[in-house]
This record gives sequence, structure tokens and C-alpha cells, in this order.
Amino acid sequence: MQRETAVRIEHLTKRFGAFTAASDVTLDVAQGEIFGFLGPNGAGKSTTIRILCGLLAPTSGRAVVSGFDVAKEPEKVKASIGYMSQKFSLYDDLTVEENLEFFAGVYGVPADRRAARMQYALDMAELADERTRLTRLLAGGWKQRLALGCAILHEPPVIFLDEPTSGVDPVARRAFWDLINDLSHQGKTVFVTTHYMEEAEYCNRIALMYKGKVIALGTPAALREQLRSDELPEPTMEDVFVRYIEQEDAKA
Amino acid sequence: MNPRRTLAIFRKELLHIVRDPLSLGMALALPMLLLILFGYALSLDVDRIPLLIWDQDKTPQSRALLDRFRGSRLFAVQGDIDSYRPAELGLDRGDVLAVLVVPIDFGHKLAAGQQTPVQMLLDGSDSNTASIALGYARAMVAGYSSEVRTEYQVRNGAGELKPPVDPQLRVMFNNELKSKNYIVPGLIAVILMMIGAMLTSLSIAREWENGTMEELLSTPVRPAELALGKLGAYFVLGFVDMVTAVLAGVFVFGVPLRGSLPLLFVSGFTFLFGALSWGLLLSAITRNQLLAFQMGLISSFLPSFLLSGFIYSIDNMPLLPQVISYVVPARYFVALLKGIFLKATGLQILWMELLFLATYAVIVFALLTRKLREKIA
Amino acid sequence: MNPARVKEIVRKEFHQSFREPRLRAMMIVPPILQFLVFGFVVNLDVERSRLAWLDQDNTPASRELRAAFEGSTYFEVTHTPATQKALEDLLDRDAIHSGIVVPPQFGEDLARGRATSIQILVEGSNSNTASIIANYVRDVVRTFSAGQLNEWVRQKRAGRPGVIRLNAPGIDLQQRVWYNPELRSRNYFIPGVAVNIITLVTLMLTAMAIVREKEIGTMEQLMVTPIRPSELMLGKTLPFALVGLLDFSLIVALGMIVFRIPFQGSGLLLLLGAILFLFSTLGVGMFISTVSHTQQQAIMATFFFFQPAFMLSGFAFPIRNMPEIVQWITYLNPLRYFITICRGVLLKGSGLNVLWPEYLALAVFGIAIMSFSASRFRKRLD
Repeated sequence: MQRETAVRIEHLTKRFGAFTAASDVTLDVAQGEIFGFLGPNGAGKSTTIRILCGLLAPTSGRAVVSGFDVAKEPEKVKASIGYMSQKFSLYDDLTVEENLEFFAGVYGVPADRRAARMQYALDMAELADERTRLTRLLAGGWKQRLALGCAILHEPPVIFLDEPTSGVDPVARRAFWDLINDLSHQGKTVFVTTHYMEEAEYCNRIALMYKGKVIALGTPAALREQLRSDELPEPTMEDVFVRYIEQEDAKA
Repeated sequence: MNPRRTLAIFRKELLHIVRDPLSLGMALALPMLLLILFGYALSLDVDRIPLLIWDQDKTPQSRALLDRFRGSRLFAVQGDIDSYRPAELGLDRGDVLAVLVVPIDFGHKLAAGQQTPVQMLLDGSDSNTASIALGYARAMVAGYSSEVRTEYQVRNGAGELKPPVDPQLRVMFNNELKSKNYIVPGLIAVILMMIGAMLTSLSIAREWENGTMEELLSTPVRPAELALGKLGAYFVLGFVDMVTAVLAGVFVFGVPLRGSLPLLFVSGFTFLFGALSWGLLLSAITRNQLLAFQMGLISSFLPSFLLSGFIYSIDNMPLLPQVISYVVPARYFVALLKGIFLKATGLQILWMELLFLATYAVIVFALLTRKLREKIA
Repeated sequence: MNPARVKEIVRKEFHQSFREPRLRAMMIVPPILQFLVFGFVVNLDVERSRLAWLDQDNTPASRELRAAFEGSTYFEVTHTPATQKALEDLLDRDAIHSGIVVPPQFGEDLARGRATSIQILVEGSNSNTASIIANYVRDVVRTFSAGQLNEWVRQKRAGRPGVIRLNAPGIDLQQRVWYNPELRSRNYFIPGVAVNIITLVTLMLTAMAIVREKEIGTMEQLMVTPIRPSELMLGKTLPFALVGLLDFSLIVALGMIVFRIPFQGSGLLLLLGAILFLFSTLGVGMFISTVSHTQQQAIMATFFFFQPAFMLSGFAFPIRNMPEIVQWITYLNPLRYFITICRGVLLKGSGLNVLWPEYLALAVFGIAIMSFSASRFRKRLD
């Protein structure tokens, strides 16, 4: 790939006591790519994302995000990423506008850009008419879009989304992926975890994670292609997923 | 009432307590901490009052008076001064609480058979210590004064003159006048109330928050069984705390236990039953741990600390707190505790208090089962 | 340190804490109610204590003694039991604080110049009240006794002139009580109560505000922003420092109005003390928030810290009375210093020349606790 590398992970390992949450993870993500992280619950997706955001220190290995080493310069990393955690995490006792203002402030969006960025986020989330509503009164899909809006106010080149669509209805989920696509077209790198198999198809490339290890890496089409056989002429993402996990379990 | 179902609830609740280090800490460590604090560290007893002496006179008479202060356990002479400045500074800094000043012609006037003053400067900011210190000083000065007077009369051939009325003081129930003797028994009430209301207040609220309450309600368990099962588990804790407190009070801190042990435990259990029911009731009403805990703090811990007569005498309070104290169960339990521990009084005197505690427990328990039934219906 | 980011946090806290009238009230009403209850209840003064009078003599002399007691503001004769048994029963029932038995020969003994005695029974279970009552009883009896003696001497001299002189020597203790001349225990307690209440309020608010963000997950969101730990800490504590100062000012004002507490010293000095003190409580609150994961844990941890700190602050139980080891421990208790400052400034009118060690201690503790807590707070989850 000729584009610049936005995220580079080399032999990244994270242990919590005796438990290894991420084991020897190595991969690169190019700028502007939508990179999907797939795997069952507890596979180590969130741990890896948290390391990339500088929230957890790696036990060994190295990760570079936007040119900054996450272990050595976590604060510089934080200025150049947007992060949306698994759990909805805005202040639901603040209004839509107050949440945006707050995050614009803590991300240090310059005063002259602030109004424009907030307007952009409101438009993007289609919340312009709800700006004075308390966040707790918003429906799930809107909350999700507002959270994304808050995370990209400072125009970060890399965006981490940890299961952004869990618990959201299919229509809202579809709309959310449209937003992700838009961001990618603007040249943003989007690193997203999910356990919805069909969402894998929206990604440029995916990594399958299982028991802390990356067990498959490639474009969705390539991964499916590897599995194509006479008995399985049209393998789905789910088939890919199941097959790789079976292989992994057989090795162990 | 089905004993098997009650027992199942009881066992589950006991497991919750044992597996939650915070609750267990709250239930066992905090009472111990309070016991140690009140039994060992905190006391209102006044002795070794730091005192400065300014003897302007320096005669045998002034030295005789001052030697009484120097030799007394009640005062601790910090030093002799010869100007006003260190007295002022010492009182301002709080290094000394009193300064005794003997004026320049003290010995001379006494020898001449005249009245003479000595002056005591006191830091009144700690009014309690100051009042007691003043009382001690007056008694010591009066003692010396009457000695001087008698000697003078004898020297002048008038025979011995004794003050005609001798007050024979008998301090009843706590003749060493140790504050721990009344604080430690009262503390049992505070501790039981704390377990009762603060720990149990979390119990039903937690089940509502976790959603396990709905599951419990879908089983055939009855309100009274649920209440009793939960009460039982915390009762065990309360019992442990009460035994610990009584044992520590009597054997470690030397508080006399003069009355009947069975009566002590009967009243303790009655009080505990009421306190636990109150905590569960709060929990059932609020369904929110934080709110229940705060209400437990306000409605039980603070009143049992402040309005029970545990330290602060109810007689001294303005009318409103006095009236409120009549509905604070700890008030009756503290009266029972002090009666049983220090006065060896029995039911013939304390039956009213016990009756109140029993009534309170029954009413709160009835409210609790009603509240739980409401939720089921 | 970026002031703009601190401002954002402060603004958010204010939005969150003061949006609803109910929340606004929560910051002000409970501390004030607690203060009023404590203020009214916490009182060790003895006045109009209930006295039982058992007069087995019933002569003018015994009635004169009773009048001496009734004339004192410390006693009120509420019962006149007929027998010693009845008197002791009253003590058992807690109906009286003390009882006096005047023996049958009392008047006759006095008239003949013979020494006599009266019996005083004091309900001693509350040792403090008992000591004070015993002192008052002795005072009344001593005055009465001196009067009788003078009377007797005068009569005797009338019979045998020249033998006994009236100008017998005597010593009279003149007391000068500083700072609290009426010896009102409220003046002593109220400053301590005020300190304890703002401690609890600021401790609880800070600990909860941070732990709540952990619980709802917004803390993680904040951690991935470029905000610095020091900015976040400052932003989270500043609003509660202001609430603490507001509560403290209200409480001191109420203390002066409702409980008639004197204010002898400088208001600015008191304010300075309060600000230094808040460093410590907010620091401890932050520390609690770094070790707690849930609000429930935060409440319990607050309670565990606050109980001993409260008891060992010298607010009611003088530090001087504690065992020496415990006295040493109290030097680690910031409440101790602030209570000394409050009493010094309010009651004694002391200034920095006297109180500087306390101010210094508070500053040192505040900065130490604050930096320790801030250093424990990392923008990391592990």
C-alpha cells in the first residue's frame, strides 16, 4: 500500500497478572483505511484499542499511532486521536450542546474553529434541532452519533471506535456506518471493533482476534476467498470466523 | 411462614456479607475502631491541667499554697514565670490552660490575719475543662485557707476552728468518675444502630438495582420470610458485635457490668431487631443504595449519636431536640445500657424502656412486611 | 497547565451540579441542618440540674442551706423524698442528678458550734456532669459554711470578748476567665462542629464526583483527551472548594447569629485557614476516588477516614486527655490544626504570630496530600 501508515503495531503483548489479554499482535493500518477488529467477547479487542489510545501500557512490544509511540508519548497520541468507548460515555445530565462545548474545550479546539466544528458535529449527528435537550433524553442511535461527534471535534486523523453500534437498532447502525465511510473519504483512519459479522463487510481490511491473538488478517473478500471450496461455494464472514476459530482451537 | 424458605434467604444473605469485604469491614472493623477510640483514646476526664505559676511573693506561705498545686495529680505545673508576657503567650498558644498568680503581699497579709486574693487566669475556650479546673483550684485554695485560719486561731488561743459543715460527697454508680464508664456502654447502641441501619439499608436496594429482587418476588417466598431471612443474617453480625463490645468493655477497658447479663442481651436483641428492620425498610422504600445509605446515616446514626444521651445530656437540649429524642429508639437503649452496666437496675425500673424498644421493633417490622407485600401485589 | 481546559471542567461541574434546584439545595441544606442539630445538642454546660432534697432536720438552719442551693442557677430542687431509700430510687431512675441528705442533728450541731456534715449523692454515670455538679455543690456548701462560721465567731466574741478575732486570715480565689468568660461550652464546640461538617461535605463531594465519572464511563473518555491530570484534578476540585467555602461562611455566620459565637479575630485570616484546609480535604477526597471503583466504596472509604479523623480532632474530646501515642497520631490529622485555628481566631482573636505553626502545618499537609493524590491519578486504566 502506498498510503502512509497511521497505526503500526509490532509484537504487542498485554498481560494482566497471569492472563494474557493480547499476545504478540502485529499489524499496520494505512491512513484513510477502515480497519475492522473482529472477535468474540473477551478476545482482546478492547484491550488492544485501549493500548493504542494510551489508556493501558503495553507489557511488551510497540505501537505507533500517528507517528507517536503510545508507551512513550501517550499525550501526543491523545491529541491526534478520537475515541469512542464501548460504553456510552457522555454526560447525560448535560445538554447536547454542553457536551460538545465541553469536549471542544478539553480537546483544545481553537476558539475560531469551535463554532464551525460544533456545527459540523451537530449536522453530522443530525442533532441541530436537539441542541438544548438533555442527553439522557436522546434515543440510543442519536446518543451514539453525538458521542462520535464529540470524539472528532478536534479533527483527529485517527479514530478508534470500540463497538460503536452495540445495542443500536439496524437502521441506526446502517446510518452510523455511513458516517464512518464519510470520515474515511475525508482521509481519516477509522479503527473499529465489532462482533457483528455483517459489519465486517464495510471495512477495508479486518483482523480476526481470538484469545488475544490475531488469527487472520486481510480484506473481507480475500478472507472469504481462502475459504471457498466445493462444499462452501459462497462462504460468509461468519463461516470465515468459525473456521479460523476451529483451526485455532485444534492447534491448542 | 416456611422455615426452609426463610433459611434459604438467610444463608444467601450471609454469603453476600462474608464475600463482600467492604460490608464485612463496615460490620466488624468500624465497631472495633469506635471501641478502641472511645475505650482507649477519648476521654472527657480532666486531670493534669497544664498550669503556669507566678509567685510574686516568694514567702513560706506562698510556697505552701503552691506546693499543693505542684503535688496534685489534677494539675501539671509547666513552669514558673516572673512576668505577665509568658502567661499571655502560653494561654494564647494553648500551651497552658491556667495561670496561678500569687500577689506580692500574700504572706504578709496572711500573717497579719487579713483576707488576701490569689488570681487564676483561665483559658475559657474549652469551657468544660475550665469549669472543672476552676472547681479543683477553688477546693485546693479553700483547703489551704482553712488550714491557715485554724492555725492562726490556735496561735491566738482560740482553739481549733473547723468549717462547720462538711460536705460528704458520695458519687454513685461511677465513683472513679471515668468518662469511659458511661461512654463505652452507650457506644453499644451506636454500633448496633450503625450495623442495623447502614449495612442493611443497602441490602434490599442492592437486589432492586441488580434486578434479583424481581426474581425473588417471582418465587413463592413470602414478605415475612424474606424480611426474617435477611434480618437473621445481619442479626448474626450484630450479635458478634454486641458480644465483642461487651467483652472488650468489661475485660479490656474495665467498665463495670453490675446488672443482669440476660437483661442486657434481651434488650440488645430487641433494639437490634428494630434497627435492622428500620434499615431494611429504608432499603425497600428507596430501592437505591446511595439514597438508602444516606437516609440510614441521617435517620439512625446521627440521632443515635447525638439525641440518645450517649454523650450529650438530653436535659441540656432545647425543647425541639428533646421532643425528637423521645422517638429515637437509641435513647431508650442507652438508658437501659447505662442502667444495666453502672446501676444494676432491673426490669422493675427499666420496663418502660424495654417495652418501647419492643413496640418500636414490632411496628417497624410490620411496616417492612407491608412494604414488601406492596411490591409483590 | 492550560487554564482554558481547567475552565471547561469547572464549567461542566457547575452545569452538572447546579442545574436542578434539588441538587443546588443538596450542597447547602444538609450541612446547615447538621450544623444546627449539632449546635443545639452538643453542650456540656450544667445548669438547673435536678436536685432531690431530703431534710431530716427541718430547722431554720437546714432551710437556710436549701435556700442557698435554690438561689444558685446550677440547681433546682425538683424532688423532696421522704426516705433515703426513696432518694436512691430517684437516682436509679435517672430522675435527678444529685441528692442532698441533711441529718437530724444538723441545726443543733450548728447552733452549738459543733462540726456537722451533710451527705451528697451524685449520679456519677456521666462523669463529666458529675464532676461539675460536685464542684458546684462544694462551692455552695463552702460559702454557707463560711457564713455560719463567721456568725458563730461573732456570737462567741459577744460572749467572751477579745479571745477570737473576726479578722481571721483567708484566701479568696479570684478567677479571670479569658476568651469565654461565661464558660459556655457551645463556644468551644461550635468551631469544631463547623470544621467537621465542611470536612465531610467537601470530602464526600470530591470523592463522589470523580468516582461517578468512573462508574458511568466518562472518565475513560476524558483520559483519551489531551487534558493533563493536574488540569482535570484542579477542574474537578475547584467547584467543591467553592462550595466548601460557601458552606463554611454560612455556618460561621449562623454560629454567630444563632449560637452567639464571638468573632474576635480577622475574617481574612479565617478564610486563609479555610482555603489551606480545603487542600487537605479535597486531596483526601481525590485519594479516596483513586482507590474506589464504585460510589458505594467511596462512601464507605469516606466514612472510614472521617470517623477517626473526627473523633481525634479535639472537637469534643480534648487531645490533651489522649494517651501519648494517640496524641502523636493527631499531629497527622489536618482537622486538628484547623480546629485550633478556628478557635484561636473566633474565640481568642489570635493572629498569625500565634497561629503560624498551624497555618504552616496545614499548608504542608495540603500540598503533600494534594500532590500525592494527583500523582496517584494517572490517565491510565492499569
